[in-house]
Amino acid sequence: MSQTYNPKNSAPAPGLKAESVHFAYNGTPTLVDIDLAVAEGEFVCLLGPSGCGKTTLLRLLAGLEIPKSGRLSWKGNPITGPGLERGVVFQDYSLFPWMTLAANITFALAKSHPEMDKRWRRDLAEEFLGLVGLRGADAKYPFELSGGMQQRGAIARSLALGSPVLLMDEPFGALDPVNRAKLQDLLLDVAFGSESPRTVVFVTHDIDEALFLSDRIVMLGSSPGRIIQDLTVPFGRPRQRGALTGSTEFLILREQIAERFRQDVIRQIEAESVMTGHADGI
Amino acid sequence: MKSLSIKATLSPEPADGFHSASGLAARPSSERKAPVPREPSPGLVRIGRPPWGLLARLRGAEGVIFLLGLLILWQVCSTCIHFSGKYLFPAPWLTLKTLWASLPELLKGTWSSFVILVPGYLLALASGVVWGLLVGTTPALNRMFSPFARLTSPVPPTIYIPYAIALLPTFRTAAGFVVFIGAFWPIFLNTATGAASLPQRYRDNALILGLKRHEYLRRIVFPASLPHIFSGMSIGLVFSFIMLTVAELFGANAGLGRFVQLYADYADYPRMVAGILYTGLIVLLTMELLEQIKRRALFWVK
Repeated sequence: MSQTYNPKNSAPAPGLKAESVHFAYNGTPTLVDIDLAVAEGEFVCLLGPSGCGKTTLLRLLAGLEIPKSGRLSWKGNPITGPGLERGVVFQDYSLFPWMTLAANITFALAKSHPEMDKRWRRDLAEEFLGLVGLRGADAKYPFELSGGMQQRGAIARSLALGSPVLLMDEPFGALDPVNRAKLQDLLLDVAFGSESPRTVVFVTHDIDEALFLSDRIVMLGSSPGRIIQDLTVPFGRPRQRGALTGSTEFLILREQIAERFRQDVIRQIEAESVMTGHADGI
Repeated sequence: MKSLSIKATLSPEPADGFHSASGLAARPSSERKAPVPREPSPGLVRIGRPPWGLLARLRGAEGVIFLLGLLILWQVCSTCIHFSGKYLFPAPWLTLKTLWASLPELLKGTWSSFVILVPGYLLALASGVVWGLLVGTTPALNRMFSPFARLTSPVPPTIYIPYAIALLPTFRTAAGFVVFIGAFWPIFLNTATGAASLPQRYRDNALILGLKRHEYLRRIVFPASLPHIFSGMSIGLVFSFIMLTVAELFGANAGLGRFVQLYADYADYPRMVAGILYTGLIVLLTMELLEQIKRRALFWVK
């Protein structure tokens, strides 16, 4: 199934695409009929309750899982496996424990930038460790760091790689509120700071975080996992945390999103009671 | 550490007094009340403390006491029990003197034992680790090799000794071969298990970095499997010592097992017991060396 050049398809920056993707885990469908198009430079949040398959969708985009059917592509090229152009930050602390923080980053940089010399890698590693608030911790091993610090190290690693696509699976879930806010700001800086903004797909279950960060929120519902709504976030950039999260517009949007999820939960409960035959009792 | 813990149990005199005061002892209560507030949390201090003063004092020295007891038992056996062969239980002091006197011969024996042990063990280590990493990460190799491994690995390796001696040209190669067999299986099996149980997050990260196969094995799977590899190495080392000494009982003209066998043949039991003690000491030291290496290599394991 070779992807032929299609001018109609590739005209407006095709970016990251999932077309009628289905995924099943041990026979049970976990993702059904997923159609998602993320434009280049767009920041999209996948928002949904736990178990809705948002992590699975991210792993599919990363090329770590193969869909049962459907097509995944980046800039028109089918995704058949992981690639360095799609950096991933996982939910759990995924640094290699037998390498120092700096070595974790330089090891990754040696793969993404084989042409650069050691000195350059070392400097870049130190720079990004500084950016995530780990200045001076470059010679530390993961076991010497708290969970939150390890996660910041993992974030520094994938930001340093400079991949045009960032796939992030609840990367700030384990952090305290202060560091979480700092890293959200840093992520926005990195994603939109340069002339060529990065394409970000960010998984979260936190509505505030999704609204604050993203251009678009793709809401997923459970059993089976599917897209229930695609919502454009109307706020401009750069965003001021305090002003934005206090605004009426923000609060209304937030309530709308929560209401949409409530509806989905009610639908699920009703569907289950019909299936088990208790519907007429209610 | 040890002396510290002994001191800790010895020094708080009030704690001990407090304990007995809680009993039936009739004491002028107003006097004895004084030390109680000084005790930060008497409930906590008392947890796990035996109520007998003597045992508390001996804390940390239990191992030494047990060994001393054994030594006394040994002395008693050697002086009181009279077998037909009267030197069957040489006294500890005599054994020690014999050990000292035989030390040059024992050292020579150690050398000729290690000349067999070290190459056999290192060969088992290299091949067991490399093959284990490959089999553990390659399903096809695993399917190919595991029926054979399951059939062969439980065979007690000592059973190969007579055949190895018959088959191989010199005793050294035969003994080296059985040492290899003894150490290979535990090292291989542990390495393969470690490689196969690589946590998914390491594999995902390696996949995203696009590592080549040899890089993946060397930089990710190998270090991640090191805890398993080291436990295989410890078991393998014990096995190779067993294999070596048993092989030497069969047909060596030098070595530690040979030393014991030779003096048993001449009914020189002080020397034989000295040889056994010395061999135990050598095994202990070698295991301790491996333990030190392990501790250094696995510093990152919490």
